[in-house]
Amino acid sequence: MLLTSVVIVLREVLEASLLISVLSALSGVLGIHRRWIGWSLLFGLAGAVGYSFGVAAISDWFDGVGQEVTSAVMQLLIFLLLLMFTFLVAQDPGKQRFSGKLIVLVMAATVSLGVTREGFEILVYLYGFSADLPRFITILSGSVIGACIGISIGALIYYLVSALSYRLSLIAGLGLLALVAAGMLSQAVLLLIQADWLPSQFPLWDSSGWLPESSVTGQLLYALIGYEATPTALQASFYFGGLLLLLIVAVFAVRSREQAS
Amino acid sequence: MFSRTKKIYFQAVLVVVCSTSVNTVHADKPVIEIEIRDHLFWPSEVTVPANTKVKLLVYNKDPTSEEFESYELNREKVIMGNRKAVIFIGPLLPGVYPFFGEFNPDTAQGKVIVE
Repeated sequence: MLLTSVVIVLREVLEASLLISVLSALSGVLGIHRRWIGWSLLFGLAGAVGYSFGVAAISDWFDGVGQEVTSAVMQLLIFLLLLMFTFLVAQDPGKQRFSGKLIVLVMAATVSLGVTREGFEILVYLYGFSADLPRFITILSGSVIGACIGISIGALIYYLVSALSYRLSLIAGLGLLALVAAGMLSQAVLLLIQADWLPSQFPLWDSSGWLPESSVTGQLLYALIGYEATPTALQASFYFGGLLLLLIVAVFAVRSREQAS
Repeated sequence: MFSRTKKIYFQAVLVVVCSTSVNTVHADKPVIEIEIRDHLFWPSEVTVPANTKVKLLVYNKDPTSEEFESYELNREKVIMGNRKAVIFIGPLLPGVYPFFGEFNPDTAQGKVIVE
């Protein structure tokens, strides 16, 4: 019971915590004030509360697949926002009077959406046990432990990315964001397959014997880079296509910043 | 002229999108119903044909929410208390595909048997 809640909450917190830590580390590297983080956390929490109240109605949309569609749209948006962020970093830093504000908005929107998505699942989970007080306390303790581990891993990544040299910080930060973004894209495709909006296919490969998705490593990799043991060809092409696109833009970003500094 | 072409293009896209969604709604997919009661799946084993897309209708009769999850089926969906959920699975190769309720994994266990 306790362990289950630790794992559930850790998995959800980890995804959001990775986004927040990498974006805030990059904020520091790019010399952007980190005031946006507090606001976007608040927006994200409000979004999570709103979504958890609305989910019963949302689930009935589109003949019962509203939840998949809403979640896929949010993940698609996070992918596009991260792509836009990398583009903005690639811009000539000398000419960024306008993009300086835009980049803050893009980061804030990304974190808000991430927190909404993950916070929603945690709220629904906790709410389900709220009628049974003794169980709720166990679940809540496990959730707090899971959240603390997730936040600690985020803090570790933040300090690691921040401690590197300017160039390496950019490479590590943008590289991690590219992996997260690709994972979001592949998850969005999977949800649309689940909703029967995209054609489903047989898995392209099966690495579950080698690294099961249910294992701790599998779950951590799922949260960090969108690991799937049995992806379909459609998912894999979107994953690698998205990853390649972001990495190409990231290379331009690192080069343009290097020249400027 | 440009805007008209754009409009026609938009309409064409709309028609394609609508017709696909109509097709998916009316396609004859086998429907399998599963209930969640007292954090258990009823039935806990369902048999579905191989190489066929199947619509799972999961009714959550508990007042608490549950998350239908399966690593083997690559499916994950939150089902609120006293609500139902639609989950499409397959086409699948013959085999056994376990699923579980992520919020109550000790009791809520089941499997899809594909033949």
